[in-house]
Amino acid sequence: MVRLPLLTIIFAFLGILKAQSSEVSSELLFAHKIQPLFKAKCLTCHGEAPNNKIKGDLDMRLLGGLIRGGESGEPSIVVGDASKSPLYLAVTRVHENDWSAMPPKENDRLDGVQIGYIKDWINGGAVWPSDKRIAKILDSPDPWDTGKGIRVKTSGGIDPVWTNRKYEEDKLWAYQGLRDIKVPGELHPIDYLIEKSLPKGLPISPQADPGTLIRRVTFGLTGLPPTPIEMKKFKVSWEKDSVKAWSELINRLLDSPHYGEQMARHWLDVVRYADSAGFSNDYPRPHAWRYRDYVVRSFNNDKPYDRFVKEQIAGDEIDENSPENLIATGFLRMGPWEHTAMSVKAVTRQQYLDDVVNSVGVTFLANELKCAKCHDHKFDPIPTKDYYRMQAIFAPVSFIERQLPWQKYENKKGIRKDQERYQKLIKSDGIKSIKTLPEEDQPIIDFDLESERAGHSKVKNKRRQQLNYQLKRAEPVVFSVSNGKPDKIHILKGGSIESPESEVEPGFLSLFNGSEKSSSVTKNANGRRKELADWIASKDNPLTARVIVNRVWQWHFGQALAGNPNNFGGTGKSPTHPKLLDWLAQRFIKEGWSFKEIHRIILSSAAYQRSTVPLDPQALAKLDSLGTSYSVFKPRRLTAEELRDSMLLVSGELNPAIGGIPSHPEINEEVAMQPRHIMGSVGPAYQADPLPSERNRRTLYAERIRTLADPMLEVFNKPGPDISCEQRENATIAPQAFTMLNSPIIRSRALAFAARLEKERPNNLTEQIKLAFQLAYQRLPNSNELKLCLENLEVFKKQHQTNIQEKVEVPKYVVRQMVEEMTGLSFWWVEDLDVYAGGNYVPDLKPWDVGHGTLAMGDLCLVLFNSNEFVYVY
Amino acid sequence: MLRREFLYGVNGGLGALAFHSMLKAEEVDGPLVPKVAHFPKTKAKRCIFLYMAGGPSHIDTFDPKPKLKDLHLKKFQRQSKFLSAMGSGERYYVQSPFDFIKAGESGIEMCDQWQHLSSIADELCVYRGCQAESINHPTANYHMNTGNRFGGDPAIGSWVTYGLGSENQNLPGYVVLPEVAYPQGGAANWSNGYLPPHYQGTTLRAKGSPILDLHPPKGVTREGQRNHLNLLGGLNALHAERHIQHNDLAARMESYELAYRMQMEVPGILDIDKENQSTQEDYGLNDKRTEEFGRRLLLARRLIERGVRFVQVYTAGWDSHDYIKRSHAERIRSVDKPIASLLKDLKERGLLDETLVVWGGEFGRTPDNGKRGGGERLGRDHNKNAMALWMAGGGVNKGSVIGGTDEIGDKAVDVVHPIRDLHVTMLKLMGLDDNKLTYFHGGRFKQLSQTGGEVIDQLIG
Repeated sequence: MVRLPLLTIIFAFLGILKAQSSEVSSELLFAHKIQPLFKAKCLTCHGEAPNNKIKGDLDMRLLGGLIRGGESGEPSIVVGDASKSPLYLAVTRVHENDWSAMPPKENDRLDGVQIGYIKDWINGGAVWPSDKRIAKILDSPDPWDTGKGIRVKTSGGIDPVWTNRKYEEDKLWAYQGLRDIKVPGELHPIDYLIEKSLPKGLPISPQADPGTLIRRVTFGLTGLPPTPIEMKKFKVSWEKDSVKAWSELINRLLDSPHYGEQMARHWLDVVRYADSAGFSNDYPRPHAWRYRDYVVRSFNNDKPYDRFVKEQIAGDEIDENSPENLIATGFLRMGPWEHTAMSVKAVTRQQYLDDVVNSVGVTFLANELKCAKCHDHKFDPIPTKDYYRMQAIFAPVSFIERQLPWQKYENKKGIRKDQERYQKLIKSDGIKSIKTLPEEDQPIIDFDLESERAGHSKVKNKRRQQLNYQLKRAEPVVFSVSNGKPDKIHILKGGSIESPESEVEPGFLSLFNGSEKSSSVTKNANGRRKELADWIASKDNPLTARVIVNRVWQWHFGQALAGNPNNFGGTGKSPTHPKLLDWLAQRFIKEGWSFKEIHRIILSSAAYQRSTVPLDPQALAKLDSLGTSYSVFKPRRLTAEELRDSMLLVSGELNPAIGGIPSHPEINEEVAMQPRHIMGSVGPAYQADPLPSERNRRTLYAERIRTLADPMLEVFNKPGPDISCEQRENATIAPQAFTMLNSPIIRSRALAFAARLEKERPNNLTEQIKLAFQLAYQRLPNSNELKLCLENLEVFKKQHQTNIQEKVEVPKYVVRQMVEEMTGLSFWWVEDLDVYAGGNYVPDLKPWDVGHGTLAMGDLCLVLFNSNEFVYVY
Repeated sequence: MLRREFLYGVNGGLGALAFHSMLKAEEVDGPLVPKVAHFPKTKAKRCIFLYMAGGPSHIDTFDPKPKLKDLHLKKFQRQSKFLSAMGSGERYYVQSPFDFIKAGESGIEMCDQWQHLSSIADELCVYRGCQAESINHPTANYHMNTGNRFGGDPAIGSWVTYGLGSENQNLPGYVVLPEVAYPQGGAANWSNGYLPPHYQGTTLRAKGSPILDLHPPKGVTREGQRNHLNLLGGLNALHAERHIQHNDLAARMESYELAYRMQMEVPGILDIDKENQSTQEDYGLNDKRTEEFGRRLLLARRLIERGVRFVQVYTAGWDSHDYIKRSHAERIRSVDKPIASLLKDLKERGLLDETLVVWGGEFGRTPDNGKRGGGERLGRDHNKNAMALWMAGGGVNKGSVIGGTDEIGDKAVDVVHPIRDLHVTMLKLMGLDDNKLTYFHGGRFKQLSQTGGEVIDQLIG
């Protein structure tokens, strides 16, 4: 390494004097370094672009092209003089006025060593040996090889240069086997490993107070705040024996059925759960909920993770008679999917295969496999061949809606009622002419009968289709897969189905076993997925356990140890505490892949129990600017679901039932009535369930329609269901304030809260405020707060005395408008809102239902819901 | 703490900023603060994207195909495993029902239905070489809006706002003016994707509350709300005393004050009755057929005047599988006068040079049609291989027609570019370099073009 730069300097000095030795060096350099560099960084645009397009008219496939130069008219290299060679000047990126920086993407910029190679190669005579000669050179070792970097054997890349390339060792961390991490017996292993990598001079914050801790962990494990009674009991036992109190609390929470709900919420973010299929029609998936409840149950029953993985990938192959196994395979169909007369069948199928392979990669292995679809993976040892070998594993998969009786552990409530509703609807017309409305309600328009006739017929047709999907919900069917006759799978050049190349056999990623053979699975249609699942859910797969404990860590601490839980490849963030990650993974496996055990271990650490108050804020800012020391616990804002669920719990309205068909909470009325274009029509209006107990369920159970997000949840960063979410956003934006202050739905929660206070502490404002604080903040107000609240209550009350609450009725129908494509003119129709018009709808508590006192207390409750103390967990 | 203006989007780290701002009191920071463009000399500062959902026919708008007159109603069969059901089977060619004119000094060809737009044709740069990749509405919409056919990625308006910030901190930087009905694919068409939520397209609604829950329900006065905020401020202040180290608290408190002020400001901007009568008439507000779109175009102009960075206006109904004569004539009529007036209005106000105006849909249409319902109903199916769009204003190659399709308009053959190149070109016109406008997400620097694209130089003046 030392020798080469010296030589370089001499060559540079000699300039165009082509000494024999420099030519030799330039030749070697080309074979070992320059050609691979050109291939990786330049040829995509300058020689190998589709349709023979050559960017900037510069062809870099051969020396002649470089010497001829591009559209500038100047040669790209001046042989022997890098400092006059545009190629060299462009890659340095510091001569942008004359030569634009190349490669253009910052992402692809060359590092100093690579730039040096180009300089040396040009100065050494820009020798470009024949392919034969290059092959010969490559038989000898690379003289520039520093010994650093690791080759990874795989099934082989499309490009031999890729096959032989080296990886920086630290970019391969996730693919290396789990290490046995030794920790001294007397310390908590997590604390030992965290404190070992703590920056020197950074003090650790003490344990948080018990009130903070029970709130933190109750939200963490159940997504709900503790009740005042729970709080009181915990504080009493904490006084007696804090360690015992804590472990009893953890056990109680892990036994709570709400534990499974909270964990399922995390999991469903990753797998993109929705109750509809997306795209043009966004048809309902009437049985997706059985998969959602399977996830809840799996967590509640502490199903070992290896089994959980296997069931979702290959449940049907493992045991076709196990109801849980069949339901679990819904995972393989969670992505958006649609086939219509406007889609090409082969394309739709290919899209499915692409989706499922990537989803398995992201979910269980934290690898975006789709990066290897068009070319060998740019950063990770995943050849394109492996991508298509993975696809071949899924080639037999076909969709099936199997009959599967409702299981006794499933919540069947509401299914019959739902069926009766849709049976009634399908018999009814549902669509009426605007001419049936009273004249004053008709939009003033140029009514065109022909447009109406044509339009109504399409709209009715579409309505029937949608209703038929809804009607299927009553049938005991499972949204699942089975195996059919597999198509042959070919490597697709550039990812295009129109360019199939060599056929591949089914197999999983080859980088661990080093060859295609040792990573192949059965060629039978049956059993491919089972073998894949066995390989993934194995203690010998270094990714699987790491990936899931990393997620669990994030669920508790708000940040993962490896910062991109869906990407453990070379471009993902490396773990801040690699030993801790490995220790957790090993321990998780040792505990039989038990989530509950790993929670107990994490939650019993001092790191989890620390206060959010730093002992030395300046030292923290200086020594831990990235916030990864775990010397303090980080506060977090409630998630969208936690926020809504907490309001319902505190107001006393929450129906805590577990599972069942999707519920329909109240959502913003404008959005509910907002027409959404679906193919040839407008999607049905969203109506809330008729009874408060039906709609005031936990948010997990709210129907997830891909093209209709609940704006309250969306504004609080609930992710869209089309791509896997590895970590939620938590930015503060002004529309959150609009929702929380102005939404009639949130105001109903506040009024119900007020009514509860009045009922439980009648005729005593002070006691009501005290209870409000206990329920919302799990503590009593101090004297300042009490005074502030009492004063403001008076102000609010006065305000209401001069205000009149106007009653607002729910709409009974909605008028729709569309442009009829055959005439280009608008047509209208009236869509009945059967739930609201049906007479069974029971509204939540509304301002016009209560007196001034309750209204004022409702205002106070609304302010509590909006307050920082309510929405942050410390 | 001095701060000139509050931010529409207050980022989570603003509290941390508060400490720094003691040192640099004058500096305002935040996700929407104006940023320096990669190419600071570019003209376009703002963009209005007129989105014709459904797929307008290039053959019947800006790409005349006289050859189809010879082929009119000629039948043929087509089968391929790479075709959809819609595109297979018995087909017949369809000539355009419209005559074409050469408009303006530049002689840009357009169908004679463009009675108003033709009068300002010299401002247009018509592009006939763009190709989509999908013939399904939602996937093609996602592609045209976000660069990714499957949705979930940030829209071009989000990228532009992310790259340039916004000039008005009290309004969202990216505003979407949809029709009452959302286009296929829904709100994911203006999603911020993995970019921070400040860059999400905010819909200002044609009817009802312009921003969801902008106003308190009836029975809560502004004074009443002030009282609520006062109590909220009091409780939050007491809370903050116990959590002085928690940076997010101040930002969240400020977001409430901003929201309170926005309630006052937004309705004023929307109040287009303040425009004089002749302007209203120009935008077609006095004609039922143009009023709906015209109203939103007028609003678009008011928004960009107030520093909103990117405004997207949707109008649907271009999906003319049948009876294209009537349906396209009607669609063109509904947008023609408002668009022409918008361009003229921008020009008169000296804003056209700084505003990139883009007109287009998700794909073009076929020169032929399938038999449906046993009859020939003279329409066109979806065509991903050809489409027409145009740009005007901010630095475009005005008065020109770029690219071309084959003699029947089946496929682009000249200056052919995929949508990503169109995106890269739009960014370039806005002063942004797609390769530099990246966001680190999921371990990778991501960009609008997905993996890089090429500027279509011919579109730039």
